[in-house]
Amino acid sequence: MSKPLLGLLLGGVLGIFDGLTAYFTPEARNQLVGIVIGSTFKGLVAGLSIGFFARKVSSLPLGVLFGLAVGLVLAWVVAAMPDPNGKHYYFEIMLPGALVGAIVGYATQKYRAQRTATS
Amino acid sequence: MVDDTDIGEGSGKFPATRHSAVLAAQSANLIERERGLSILVAAYWKPIYKYLRIRHREPNEEAKDLTQGFFARALEKEFFAAYDPEKGSFRTYLRTCLDRFVANEKKAALRQKRSPGAPVVPLDFELAEGELARAEPAADRTMEQYFHDEFVRSLFALSVETLREECALRGKDLPFRIFERYELDLDPEERLTYERLAEELHLPVTQVTNFLAFARREFRRIVLEKLREITTSDQEFRDEAKSLLGVSE
Amino acid sequence: MRWLSDKTVRHLKRVAEWPDLGETKYRPLKELGRGGMSTVYLAEDTVLGRKVALKVVSTAAARPEIVERMRAEARVIARLEHPGIVPVHDAGMLPDGRVFYAMKRVDGKRLDELARAMALPERLRVFQRICEAVAFAHAHGVVHRDLKPENVMIGPFGEVLVMDWGVAKVLADGAGESSVSPTWAPSSSSTAAGTIVGTLAYMAPEQAEGSTDRVGTPADIYALGAILYFLLARRAPFDAEAAERRARGEARLAPAPPRRIDPDVPRPLEAIVLRAMAAEPHERYAAASDVAAEVARFLDGERVVSHREGLFERAERYFSRYRTPILLVLAYLVARTILFFFARG
Repeated sequence: MSKPLLGLLLGGVLGIFDGLTAYFTPEARNQLVGIVIGSTFKGLVAGLSIGFFARKVSSLPLGVLFGLAVGLVLAWVVAAMPDPNGKHYYFEIMLPGALVGAIVGYATQKYRAQRTATS
Repeated sequence: MVDDTDIGEGSGKFPATRHSAVLAAQSANLIERERGLSILVAAYWKPIYKYLRIRHREPNEEAKDLTQGFFARALEKEFFAAYDPEKGSFRTYLRTCLDRFVANEKKAALRQKRSPGAPVVPLDFELAEGELARAEPAADRTMEQYFHDEFVRSLFALSVETLREECALRGKDLPFRIFERYELDLDPEERLTYERLAEELHLPVTQVTNFLAFARREFRRIVLEKLREITTSDQEFRDEAKSLLGVSE
Repeated sequence: MRWLSDKTVRHLKRVAEWPDLGETKYRPLKELGRGGMSTVYLAEDTVLGRKVALKVVSTAAARPEIVERMRAEARVIARLEHPGIVPVHDAGMLPDGRVFYAMKRVDGKRLDELARAMALPERLRVFQRICEAVAFAHAHGVVHRDLKPENVMIGPFGEVLVMDWGVAKVLADGAGESSVSPTWAPSSSSTAAGTIVGTLAYMAPEQAEGSTDRVGTPADIYALGAILYFLLARRAPFDAEAAERRARGEARLAPAPPRRIDPDVPRPLEAIVLRAMAAEPHERYAAASDVAAEVARFLDGERVVSHREGLFERAERYFSRYRTPILLVLAYLVARTILFFFARG
């Protein structure tokens, strides 16, 4: 499996779980489906870009930082969209989003992509 | 017949076994005994003289008499016949005999005069006395070490002289001169370079290095031959060579 | 007759022992060191223009069997072409019959001199290189038999070289091996006595007992364990007194566990040492590569096979190995928990 693919899968899975944690925020509970879809999409995009970065740059600290930054930025994009009541949840979205990005960054840096021998 | 001391595949260039002077000194044949004794005297008289001066604190005249008397007594009483290589080196045995001789002489309060059995090698006591004045024994050396060091000095000096004579005989004065200049003339810490020596002697550097290599090779051969003359067995020779050529620094 | 000063006499001793290399392509430059049987000189290869180390049998040692042993040593090393084994370039005989061989000049320091200044991961890396070189030798049927920190050189670029194969044994040769190598022959000289003691500290029991028929690759495994002991505890497994006791019949004396010397020695590494230094050969690791693999596992944070770890120790190892992701996940969970209570508040 390549690093971008790992990033995509891991980002998507963690995005689902991150979205599901909205269940524990009462006012967001009724928008759970939308949140999960959005979080998953965010995770896929973040994971793919972090995976590509890991393919080009082999550095654990840089990979984690890049993941953190990408997660933060994409989470900001989502958090910039107000809920039906016009409320923004920057802190609640960006902090976990950044951490998820960092986790994906770590995983893609540590993962050793299998190379198939060319004949 | 291949000598059992030959190494490698009989290169023939390793010093061939010489009939040991120690064994010769034990011979029943008087001429052989005197030949052996002459060689031993040449190698040991100076260390013995210095040892008597330093260890036994004998004044120079007494030390001279004792040195000559010791060798005369050795010939007369066949000291060396009792030497057993299994029990230690010849040098240690010699020193033990010397100590005993001095103790007995002091007890008897007699002095040996020159006798017909005295060594035939001319003994330059003035030179030995001069050398004593130039170098006192280091405080941290035992007498045994001192005797050993003087023996080594004497052996090397003899070897240098022999090298000089042999080079003169073979018309190779220049190699000896280069050897003397490079290895002996200056303090070894400030040795000449080959280039400076070549310049001094108006020779190519390659010729200087070739002559030096020749002289070193010959010096080594002479040292080992002399060492073999004063040992009685291969094992003793190797032990002495190790002791002689081992460098402490 | 000329008087020779003490300095001149010392110099002439070197001159008398100086190798005559006139008929070879080597030019001797200076003496590098001397052992009981041979002297090593720095020389210049005038054809290739490089410096080499020339090992020349000493005059005093030039018995036919010693000469043959040096030839055998050169042949043994020459057939072991490995980056961790000093290569032999040439061998020959001087005009005076002394045998010599020319090998790579290693411009570095001995492991026993450097080890104290090195951090643990670096020491373990060096140890792995030693194991690899020894494993290579074993795979080619050669047992070193004198492995110790003094016989390992570290080059200026970190290269690790196993030296001094003077008492190596080719396992295919069965007959005629003496149980006493010249290096260990009794001698009245203090230098030889020191060599015996120094070597005994790293010598397997079967070797110290003189059971040459039992001395094979396990003896080198023991010595590797002893070297690892030295690298961890920063001292030899046996001090001079203990080494003497081993020489006098107590060959099976066990070393003090490394953690008794230094409690900071990691338990898995102590386990590796103790297994490699087991008194019975069959209880040790089967191969030098196994020892290297165990050390690699330790360095990678994986479980060392020879070490039975407790639950707490395993948790500690997992945390140490996966510290970053564990902390990231914990940070995420803490953040989520805080946000949950923040939202409820």
